[in-house]
Amino acid sequence: MSQVQEGARPAAPANPDASSTRPAPRVAWSRRLLTAGPPIALIALIVIFGAANSRFLSGSNARGIADQTAILLVLAIGMTFVILLGGIDLSVEGVMATSSLVVALLAANDRNSNDYGMLAVLAGVAAGALFGLVSGLLHTRLKIPSFMATLGMGAVGIGIATVLFAGRSPRVLDEGVRSWGLDKWWGFSPLTYVAVAVLIIGWLIQRFTRVGRYGYVIGGAEGIARLSGIPIMRYKTLAFIISGSTAGLAGAMAASRLGVGDVLIGGGQMFATITAVVVGGTLLQGGRGGVHKTAIGALIIAVLANGLILVGVEPYVQRSVQGVVIVIAVAATGWSLRTRTRTIK
Amino acid sequence: MSLFRNSHKKRRRGAVALAVGVALALTACSTADPETDSEEPAGGDTAEEPVAAEDIVLVNAIRSLSNPYHANWAAGGELFAESVGMEQVVLTDDGDSQKQLSQIKSLLAGGKTIILNVDPNTSSDAEAIVRAVTDAGGYVVTQWNKPDDLHPWDVSDNWVSHISFDGTVGGYEIAKALFEEMGGEGGIIALQGILDNVPAKQRFAGLQRALEEYPGIELLDEQTAEWDRNTGYEVTQTLLAKHGDAVGGVWAANDNMGLGALEALKAAGLGGQVPVVGVDAVPEALEAVQDSENTGYLATVSSDAFWQGGAALALAYQAAMGEFDVASAGQEQREFYGTQFLVTKDNVEDFLQTPSLEDLQADFDNPFARSTGQIG
Repeated sequence: MSQVQEGARPAAPANPDASSTRPAPRVAWSRRLLTAGPPIALIALIVIFGAANSRFLSGSNARGIADQTAILLVLAIGMTFVILLGGIDLSVEGVMATSSLVVALLAANDRNSNDYGMLAVLAGVAAGALFGLVSGLLHTRLKIPSFMATLGMGAVGIGIATVLFAGRSPRVLDEGVRSWGLDKWWGFSPLTYVAVAVLIIGWLIQRFTRVGRYGYVIGGAEGIARLSGIPIMRYKTLAFIISGSTAGLAGAMAASRLGVGDVLIGGGQMFATITAVVVGGTLLQGGRGGVHKTAIGALIIAVLANGLILVGVEPYVQRSVQGVVIVIAVAATGWSLRTRTRTIK
Repeated sequence: MSLFRNSHKKRRRGAVALAVGVALALTACSTADPETDSEEPAGGDTAEEPVAAEDIVLVNAIRSLSNPYHANWAAGGELFAESVGMEQVVLTDDGDSQKQLSQIKSLLAGGKTIILNVDPNTSSDAEAIVRAVTDAGGYVVTQWNKPDDLHPWDVSDNWVSHISFDGTVGGYEIAKALFEEMGGEGGIIALQGILDNVPAKQRFAGLQRALEEYPGIELLDEQTAEWDRNTGYEVTQTLLAKHGDAVGGVWAANDNMGLGALEALKAAGLGGQVPVVGVDAVPEALEAVQDSENTGYLATVSSDAFWQGGAALALAYQAAMGEFDVASAGQEQREFYGTQFLVTKDNVEDFLQTPSLEDLQADFDNPFARSTGQIG
């Protein structure tokens, strides 16, 4: 993003000689630390946990961490697009619920005779995209704040999932779909590769498409974006569609891993996802961040949870430790902006 | 002119204040009446008159229909309602205490006699609920959660009974089944529920009692998986990385976590080789128990959610109809533990089917048939 112009003044050049030989502006120390903060934190955590228990660094644990990060990363990548433009998506748990049930009921299962195989996964993603579309329209056309619109859509998702669930969770019997959750490709779960693929696609969208690039502008200064003639409603809606699609994909991934469609399959994911995005360095107010930063954030969350268990921290204390680490990370990331008041949309 | 305008404003403000005051007074009057009724001695007449059928509403208040346990609970209540020719109302609160209380209060304000079977969201909610029902002249049976020092006989005859299940028994029985399968030797990992839930603490205490009886079994690690399936998967995955081959069995405080652990074992290539036990008897766990040679899922515990939804409602109904005399009932009928069933491969068939009205009629007629004794 733009560099901080240290000592820049709008006044007329009083000393023309001085301004022409002024050296290039230097990025402030604090700014460098902020952008490097999350990766440093991640490395520090790995070193500390590795020193405390050598099993932490073992191959099988590393693969376990990768597997545990997969679903969280997919969710967080979609969420990043929404948070970048200053909104938030609280519907992920509901969308995951509906998507997992759609996948479970369309693939070979123990409730009906459907057998659509991988098309069921596509249907799950499409269901998520549909939720995202409705959330986006509610937010942009009806001017409902994003947290309210998505909270409502999340409840709708849980409701639809409960109706589909009808008293007992359908089990996924399709070998192909389940193999994505259970197989090993060169030691890693296929879901890990899916997450990496989504990360690459997300980065390409962020870097090379208008949805990504305009997202920064809309989040950073929406008024200016509107004055520039950017069709804000369209890009906001697209961001919600992306977030809904990743939630749908995450629901399908969870269904393939756990072998069921379950209404509560997304339990706890909403908070973890938002935390991963914010810890990575994307500001909740929007305008700064990106999926590459979110990847670091998701890894920090997974490494922290895994490491605390391996080191043997008491279960009663683990949650508190996680909370403290996250608060420190978020405070550090937003430190330079603490003097400016911004509203959270 | 200004004098006239001021007095006009004052008059209007005065009129509004008067109207508000009258409205408040009216509402205060209408809520005062039930309070004077409940100041009568606990064996008051209002609790004993049988009620006409058109004037009662059967209500089951649970967390949600999104999980099989509560869905079965509601189905059990439905069976009972059919048996007396009525409909039941199901209230779901999604884990929100305020919502549960306000839903119940709205029904109570409807004018009919409410017959309520409720699973209070937390222990502290139980008191507000039973007092609200008492004030409105309804009848309530609570299950699972209530404060330890609050008893039905201290509050009113409208709080018919409190039913719970001894978690230590459940946790102990599945642990024993697990240790027997392991031949009394080896290491196990334990997945706990949310750490400050009473069932989580009770079941873990049951596990620890079993561990004392089997000195050859070592508890390698105990972690919380928050009653959640995906968390059960991830925690098991991490613990397998931490302890490797030393893990000879998995004890989970509920089936959700146990089923998550099952998938983690499968993903690690240990499917069917490491036995797993849980509690709740959700349908998938029952099917896994049926296929335990391949899955390794040994046992689970059923409190029979159908019974919880139906027989408890029957008890409250009998109190309303005067068939069960609450005032003269002993403490062991006002507060008791129900029966839990250890489900293993030998008896899993019985639990796989939804019970019919015939199966449960005897329990509806005598809800105390499954009492295993007073709580505490």
